[in-house]
Amino acid sequence: MMRLLISLLFTCGLAAASDWSATERAFVQSLGPWPQAAVADASNRLSGDVRAIELGRQLFFDRRLSANNALACADCHRPDAQFADGIALNRGFGALARHTPALLNLSQRYWFGWGGENDNLWAQSMRPILTPEEMNASLTQVSETLRQDDAFACRFQATTGLALQTLDEQTQLVWIGKLLAAYQETIVTGRTAFDTFRDQLLQGQPLTALNASEQAGLKLFIGEGRCVFCHSGAGFSNGEFGDIGVSFFTASGVDKGRYAGIQSVTRSPFNRLGAFSDSIASGSRTQHIQLLHRNWGEFRVPSLRNVADTAPYMHNGSVETLAEVVDFYSELDEERLHTDGEKILRPLHLSAPEKQNLIAFLQSLSAPVSAATDQPDLFQNCPQAAG
Amino acid sequence: MKLKQMLAAGLLGLSALAGASPFMELVDTHIHYSHDAWERTPPPEAIRLLRLAGLQKAFVSSSSDQGTQMLYAEAPDLIVPVLRPYRKRGEISTWFRDETVIPMLEDLLEKNTYAGIGEFHIYGDDANMPVIRRVVELAQQYHCFLHLHGDAEAVENVFKQDPNATILWAHSGFEGPAVVSQMLARFPNLKADLAFRNDHAFQGKVDAQWRELFLKYPDRIMVGTDTFAPERWHYIMDHADWTREWLKDLPESVAQKIGYQNGLDLAAWALNK
Repeated sequence: MMRLLISLLFTCGLAAASDWSATERAFVQSLGPWPQAAVADASNRLSGDVRAIELGRQLFFDRRLSANNALACADCHRPDAQFADGIALNRGFGALARHTPALLNLSQRYWFGWGGENDNLWAQSMRPILTPEEMNASLTQVSETLRQDDAFACRFQATTGLALQTLDEQTQLVWIGKLLAAYQETIVTGRTAFDTFRDQLLQGQPLTALNASEQAGLKLFIGEGRCVFCHSGAGFSNGEFGDIGVSFFTASGVDKGRYAGIQSVTRSPFNRLGAFSDSIASGSRTQHIQLLHRNWGEFRVPSLRNVADTAPYMHNGSVETLAEVVDFYSELDEERLHTDGEKILRPLHLSAPEKQNLIAFLQSLSAPVSAATDQPDLFQNCPQAAG
Repeated sequence: MKLKQMLAAGLLGLSALAGASPFMELVDTHIHYSHDAWERTPPPEAIRLLRLAGLQKAFVSSSSDQGTQMLYAEAPDLIVPVLRPYRKRGEISTWFRDETVIPMLEDLLEKNTYAGIGEFHIYGDDANMPVIRRVVELAQQYHCFLHLHGDAEAVENVFKQDPNATILWAHSGFEGPAVVSQMLARFPNLKADLAFRNDHAFQGKVDAQWRELFLKYPDRIMVGTDTFAPERWHYIMDHADWTREWLKDLPESVAQKIGYQNGLDLAAWALNK
């Protein structure tokens, strides 16, 4: 009802293309098109492969990748919850310090993890399997489980051309990571009301896709709010990291965020520059990364696609609702930011209607999620999978 | 505490344990301990973190001064107290217009021991405001250095007021090595810290222009972390490790001066009233 009232209040407002300046049009244009063309991950030769996607899908729902067969990836990255979990901090086998991110539109990303601990999706997919607080499995356990599964071994060979038995435990895990990545790359969000609006604006059509409140919120987003400086591009994220003043204390100390992430990714044998990568050339960003003081306590700038459906927010899930996120930016605590640090940020001091408009716009970024589905005919020459 | 004792006590950071070069106990000239820091990291824990980082001395200022006093009481051998003209965080851009700051400083300077006044933020002509002028006088009166976060113009304005002032230029003004070098040449009592800067070193190698500056003015440069948010207290150790890494790329005598000797000398000068 409130949204309807606001819409009525703005009925005489932003309805014509002429109400949008050249600068505003350029910003709006920069936030698309959507969907983006699929780009295979050069570091993963299984990326985009239909068999790898199906086998990865099966692994994503397979609890044998955890200790005691307790948890699958899908238990925390729930398909019915935007491939997230909807709670602030989950517990796998122990208390976690970071919020479970939604696994949406991953194929366009370079850094993975709230601190960018990995520069590719397959290494990021290996991480929770062995992390004691998450799936708590061991290399040996995973290897033995899968090697004893004739159906999996057959499907693995049909997909990779490799005999599972001939691979060492670590290499097996890398391939599992690459299979999981292939599936996760298929999890995408659809076209939103904003995407239709963008097309209407660029093509000179009547601007009907967003109501006046949503349009006012968009103007704030790309204008005075300067949200677009970090939440940029078709994915509504610059793909980098920032310190917006959210506390990064944890129960046991601090979460170093991007600082530890850079240390981790540059040392990882599973980065794009390592022996397991299928394209060293794809790792130039990793090669040139520099560790900076400002990286301490920086966290990934999240995509805003489907943001209204992925509460709670921030790296530690400390902000419960979208309205509270907007409040956070409106009253930003500049004192927590270095005077020579993140100069983009300043308190927005938004009025109540402005907040409502910004929220309305953010809600217009939602669309249904799709992902690869069961393909039972792909492995007809292999034994039936267990269970 | 000597290296062997620290090793025995398990007080060294990982890189110090793993590093091939000798462990250098640093002097960190840029630490804040404001109200939200001491609420989260009480004095005993804060001192533990400083010692864990392998610091000989830590120049500490805080908003309010209560934080500095608590730390100084906890470890007078370690803490070099510096008086910040802020009662609380959030006065960075207003303090120099607030004349009530002066009696607060006068009172604290009379009651306590301080090596410096700062870190305060001041830019351009604002450095000629009455409050700043009085701060410069107080520094002279109490034999304190000024820890000034500002541009070259502000530094110049303070030296016009008192050519004998001693200024520790926070962050080297975030200026490039050419400007910093010019300023050091013009003002013999100007010293500079490298807090929150990365441009002088990359992956353990010192930038060529900065190297030239360090070799030309080895007695004028110091290092510091800048704990501007409470979480950054946990960065002091990582920062010390990072600092030791690039100091290894300098001649040993220069590295020692920048790493600790210049800080020790400044503290001795200021506290030897």
